[in-house]
Amino acid sequence: MPAYNTIAFRPELCNGCGDCMRTCAEVKTGSADSANARIQISADGDTLALALCRQCGDPKCVANCPAAALDKRLADGVIAWDGSKCVNCLLCTVGCAYGGIVYNAAAQHVVKCDTCAGDPACVRVCSTGALRYLTTARIYNEVGDLEDLFAPGLSGCQGCNTELVMRHALRRIGPDTVLATPPGCIPGMGSVGYNGQTGTKVPVFHPLLTNTASMLTGIRRQYRRLGRKVHAVALAGDGGAADVGFQSLSGAAERGEEILFICVDNEGYMNTGMQRSSCTPFGAWTSTTPVGERGRGKTQHAKNLPVIMMMHNCEYVATASTGFMEDLYAKLDRALAASERGFAYLHIYSPCTTGWRFPSQDNIEVARKAVESDFVLLWEFTPAAGLQLTRDVSHPVSISEYLRVLGKFRHLDDAEVHEIEAAVERNRQFITGLAQGQHPAMARLAADRADDTGARS
Amino acid sequence: MNAVPQPQAQTESRVLVCDGNEAAAWAVALARVDMVAVYPITPQSSLVEYLAKFVADGRLNAEIVDVEGEHSVLSVLQGAALAGARTYTGTCGPGLAFMFEPYLRTPGLRLPIVMSIVTRDTLTPQSVWGGHQDAMSVRETGWIQLYCESVQEVLDTTIMAYRIAEHRNVMLPVNVCHDGNYLSFGAARVELPAPAEVDRFLPPPAVHWHAALDPERPMAVDPLTGGAGGPGPAMFVRYRKGHCAAMQNALSVIESVHADWHRIIGRRHPALVEPYRMEGADFALVTIGSMSGAAKDAVDAARERGLAVGLVRVKTYRPFPVQALVRALDGVRAIGVVDRSVSFGWNCGPLYQDVLTALQSAAARPATLSFIGGLAGADLTIGHFERAIALTRAQAREGRSGGVIWLNEEDR
Repeated sequence: MPAYNTIAFRPELCNGCGDCMRTCAEVKTGSADSANARIQISADGDTLALALCRQCGDPKCVANCPAAALDKRLADGVIAWDGSKCVNCLLCTVGCAYGGIVYNAAAQHVVKCDTCAGDPACVRVCSTGALRYLTTARIYNEVGDLEDLFAPGLSGCQGCNTELVMRHALRRIGPDTVLATPPGCIPGMGSVGYNGQTGTKVPVFHPLLTNTASMLTGIRRQYRRLGRKVHAVALAGDGGAADVGFQSLSGAAERGEEILFICVDNEGYMNTGMQRSSCTPFGAWTSTTPVGERGRGKTQHAKNLPVIMMMHNCEYVATASTGFMEDLYAKLDRALAASERGFAYLHIYSPCTTGWRFPSQDNIEVARKAVESDFVLLWEFTPAAGLQLTRDVSHPVSISEYLRVLGKFRHLDDAEVHEIEAAVERNRQFITGLAQGQHPAMARLAADRADDTGARS
Repeated sequence: MNAVPQPQAQTESRVLVCDGNEAAAWAVALARVDMVAVYPITPQSSLVEYLAKFVADGRLNAEIVDVEGEHSVLSVLQGAALAGARTYTGTCGPGLAFMFEPYLRTPGLRLPIVMSIVTRDTLTPQSVWGGHQDAMSVRETGWIQLYCESVQEVLDTTIMAYRIAEHRNVMLPVNVCHDGNYLSFGAARVELPAPAEVDRFLPPPAVHWHAALDPERPMAVDPLTGGAGGPGPAMFVRYRKGHCAAMQNALSVIESVHADWHRIIGRRHPALVEPYRMEGADFALVTIGSMSGAAKDAVDAARERGLAVGLVRVKTYRPFPVQALVRALDGVRAIGVVDRSVSFGWNCGPLYQDVLTALQSAAARPATLSFIGGLAGADLTIGHFERAIALTRAQAREGRSGGVIWLNEEDR
């Protein structure tokens, strides 16, 4: 059975402006009288409640209808109402627990949401983000039947985000793959296995921490020589990519090897006990940047590895987050396709419940907050199109929204938070500048040059 | 099984004049290697230049990967071998040191990679010249090591190395060691065998019939193995023991491969050790590598003067040919071992140390002496060997052992 898109409501974000209702009424009836809107938001004690058709999987309105006027459409999941069959008995309204189908006096029959053919007007006008049209059903519909190519029961920490990345990525990439998982959490949780047993259903190996991209080079080139199409894929941590494994990564990228290199960035050596890597952000506690009388966590900012990879002019480079799965899947697809032509690098930010010290159920929320605060920026690069932001970065939530949920930042004072804030802003300007084809520093440089030329002549 | 068309580099056997680096490159072409990964380093550089030229000219139909360092050189080849490729590279000295991490792992993966070590002394003192210190420093890592004396032997041994490495009872990587400067750049007359003859000698690659990274035969290569308790300890022992057994198997395989080379190609090289003028020898030198030529001349001259001296050259250094060496040295009263490298822990040459250990299984206990010479490109001349012969003869007369003679110490 397929999954369907839906309109979701977060009352804590709603300011009760009523734009959604007025717009709905306007679009559906031509007048802005909220009473005629298919969506109703009203006070419910201390909070706000939504009355809207949920397009249920097992709709009671459809079951109650004696005239077959309501139908759950298999193609898009919308429950459609057919006026030519409706006998106005209103039994449907009795069946619905959500106030999603109600009698409308002006229309003189029941009315309900039809999601505006997949582009709901109410969501478009919602300025606070309280209403969202969730289209993640696409992922389930497209990959739900694909085999999970890792064995059940990998021994990751509770709530591990990296395990999520691994399972999603490999399921999508498919079985015609040789998978490299350099030392770190990924093999640590048993993907390559222990004592003759393995946790992966495709050919998988431990490269050294240092030579992932080089070993994949040999594998891919030999299969190409034999005329066989085999994906060469790495699922590596940030340490093996940005630190000790960087030389081989850079070499393979420069040579344009046909590899899909996925860096799962949990900002440190989490498998070996949460030590600092060059991807660890400023101020973060790690076991090698401890907090004490003199220690205040890491004293340098993180290396921006995806930007460095972009400067190799790879076939494809992108950043992604499990907080934004559709975006992640779209990038995974493009990265995989690009890896047939050259080097594709996908940098996935992966919050670590154990190493970052936050409750295991909060992982996706932390991933989302990282992006929403601009701490992490989502973008992609191709040589033809350059760098493009794939998510608006102009309205970030406060950085402290993100920092305060993480134990590794708990010791930060205001000055240190400001330092991070400033770095986030610099990075936002840097990436935005690249996206607009003019980095501010480059523009200044150009201006200086123009001044020099003027002074000389 | 290999779908790649193979152009013929040449069709007939022929004679050419070339140095050891070019000879190794010819061997790679004749062995129909699938993948070569290269990074230049003195004195190996011309070897990889020849390979690149051979590929550019269509003489060698191999994938050539110009990587960013030796660490990746061997890593690329590991990946290629796990996908079934016959592979080759060469390095030395600092390059070998940088390669050490994947180097150490290759034999455990049981990948039949062939790699020339164009031997070079190790840093420091800073040096770019020949010496065995690089290859000797990795003698206990589980690679097979063969040391060549001549340019012809470099060519022939490099091809033979594939038969040895890919033998089902061996499946181990092989270092073909040829001396930096003296063999790498010393030109000599070389007979190049006909490709058809080499094809008769060397079948298509059999590289990944055991461990493979192939979606048609999915498996995990190298899961964590060992630890205390459970199946780990016994499993780890099984791998290590299997590796040791394969090294011992290699001794007879090396002999039979050399015999096949003689039968098919028509040239005979010593397989494990080469006894030279050992008939009735009262004392002997033990040598390794290109120095053996000058040493043999010195032995010839000494024989003409009536001295009962012989020589044993060690060709196969790892696995160490204990029985063959003891047999070759049977009956001598004194042995002078000439090393081109140093064992810092024992204040002698490493080959000397090996010879001493091997003699534990001999009936007699001859006097021994360690000579160290030819470091960092220093020449080992007939004069040096005459001195070595004289000193070893004195040992034989006096029946005492010990001491280290640094042959180039008085060079001016």
